[in-house]
Amino acid sequence: MRKFLCTCLLFLLLSVPLDAQELDIFGYFEPQFNLIYLDDNYYQLQSNKLRVDLKSNLGENLEFGANFDWIVYHGKREWNYWNFIPERVTSRYSSARMWRYRFTFDDRSFLDNAYLRFSFPSFDLMVGKQQISLGTGYAWNPTDIFNVKDLSDPTYEQPGHNAIRVDWPLRAGFSLLALYSPESDWESSGKLLRLKGRWQHFDFSITGTETEWGVTDYEYPFVNLFTSHKRRLLGGDFAGELLGLGVWGETAYNFVGDFEDFWELLIGGDYTFDSELYLMLEFYHHSLAKSDYRDYGLNDWLRFFYQEQKSLTRDQVYCLIQYPLTDLLKIGGSTLLSLSDGSIALVPTVLYSFHENIEFTLIGNINIGKEGKAYGSSQGHSLLLRSLVYF
Amino acid sequence: MKLKAFTPLIFSAGLFCAGSAGAQTNPITADTIIQRVTRVMNPAQSKGKMKMTITTTSKKTRTFVYLAYAKNHGEKTLMKYLEPSRVKGQAILMLNNADDIWVYFPRTRRVRKLATHAKKQKMEGSDFSYEDMGAGDAFIDEFESRLLGEEKKQGKLCYELELTRKPKSTSGYSKLVMWVDKESFVPLVIDYYHDDDSTLLEKELVCGNIEIIDDIPTPMQVVMYNKLDRTQTSMELVEVSYKVDLEDDLFTERGMKK
Repeated sequence: MRKFLCTCLLFLLLSVPLDAQELDIFGYFEPQFNLIYLDDNYYQLQSNKLRVDLKSNLGENLEFGANFDWIVYHGKREWNYWNFIPERVTSRYSSARMWRYRFTFDDRSFLDNAYLRFSFPSFDLMVGKQQISLGTGYAWNPTDIFNVKDLSDPTYEQPGHNAIRVDWPLRAGFSLLALYSPESDWESSGKLLRLKGRWQHFDFSITGTETEWGVTDYEYPFVNLFTSHKRRLLGGDFAGELLGLGVWGETAYNFVGDFEDFWELLIGGDYTFDSELYLMLEFYHHSLAKSDYRDYGLNDWLRFFYQEQKSLTRDQVYCLIQYPLTDLLKIGGSTLLSLSDGSIALVPTVLYSFHENIEFTLIGNINIGKEGKAYGSSQGHSLLLRSLVYF
Repeated sequence: MKLKAFTPLIFSAGLFCAGSAGAQTNPITADTIIQRVTRVMNPAQSKGKMKMTITTTSKKTRTFVYLAYAKNHGEKTLMKYLEPSRVKGQAILMLNNADDIWVYFPRTRRVRKLATHAKKQKMEGSDFSYEDMGAGDAFIDEFESRLLGEEKKQGKLCYELELTRKPKSTSGYSKLVMWVDKESFVPLVIDYYHDDDSTLLEKELVCGNIEIIDDIPTPMQVVMYNKLDRTQTSMELVEVSYKVDLEDDLFTERGMKK
């Protein structure tokens, strides 16, 4: 399928007269410095990322877009999730299995997105590797089975997914999205249908998705046992305004063949005060996650770390505060509070606009919960300094 | 909820109003003036390229270039950023006279709907808030107007009007004072008074360099002075056309992403 898409893309690029192609090249360079405090030790991890975007209108109704990423890492590149799991859990197992949970920040260069978009009078067709963004939630998106957000930086770009997507604008502000994300066969491929509409000042949508969900048994002897399950999701979301507050919500019920069904719920609201202080609050429930931290097992921790499951703890709250201290300096932070186990993570942030195309960001991550809890001390603390240079 | 402030997105003055004040036999009322201001501020359709320069408190400048489209006398507006690279591709769609606002972020391909309160936020750190950029008939719906007299501004004889916020209005300004050119009905200066203190001048907007574009007198430069923060933002109209036929499809989520 990939070869077929690449061939189509190349053919289309070459078939259009050169004078019709105005290739726009832009992107950014993102050096990061990460300081991590774990088990009474300090570690350093740096990365340098270069992203180059290409965009061209090949004709009046045909657009080509792509981006290539190069990321190189320095410092402590080898880690083990075992070291982030509370001793209360790891002590139940032999440390000989530690090797199974190692991970390395390997240098990477990859084609993140490469797509063609055909705009027909009544619909748009997008083919290739593309970002798929679903749902109205800020920190979590129950209706999005393609991405899992980083809670310390939820607005960071998500990776591209190989897909064929059709957007049909319907009457009276309604639209229909159909998406097919091909895998090795039809059964294991992702399929999505989404109807979006508007009622008064509210946007809403209903989503149905079918895909394969990979779940790993990390407690299995000798090896991590990977199993795949058919997952059907039925969900919906909305965004609008109520009593002067911005409000949004998202819910999804997941039917998982031979595994446990589960559902997720997200409710959020925000407000900007006259002083320009911005406040956001989100509540998230994941029925598959545990409500008692003493029940968090090895599988729960590792499925959360490997992003197989969006949450370790059942009920939690995300709170975001932002304030423009000056016209170039924005301070704030977010708080993650597990209502299930009472643990808290603080994520202070500072954003400085150094130049029109240069930004500096400082993101802290301080876990102040008790050992063994979702945002407990076993997670360590970190400080990330990121600069972004756009070109 | 209607928006409360001035519309510099694509600001124009219809020739159909020129000279009409002089033809009045009865004294013109404040309501008539403000209706004409509203009409001349919102041409039927427009397409333009704007350059916005922000001068910060530390005297640093930030320059943004964007395309702006408007239809149905400003009931629908769309802005698409071209520069700088940091915001390239970002788009803001306002429908129903900016009662509904969506922002598109190309880096994440996400569209976010903004609630009314978010309109108080500065747009890209400028001295214009989202609500300042909205269009429509806010001067009529949100304010009671009163004619104070006549005064010269920029060498032109102007009507001096006071607009006081109506009791149920959600405008972020308690009062506006506006000097409207008697010939073109272009508001040459608008003073914006603080939400909580009608004696505290918060911002001042000055229109200048008026040129005739497609038979419509158009201020080619608009400057918003923030009197409290001591910052300013200027908007320069690089290109503009009023003789356009914009499709409704442009003012949709699909149109934002193109």
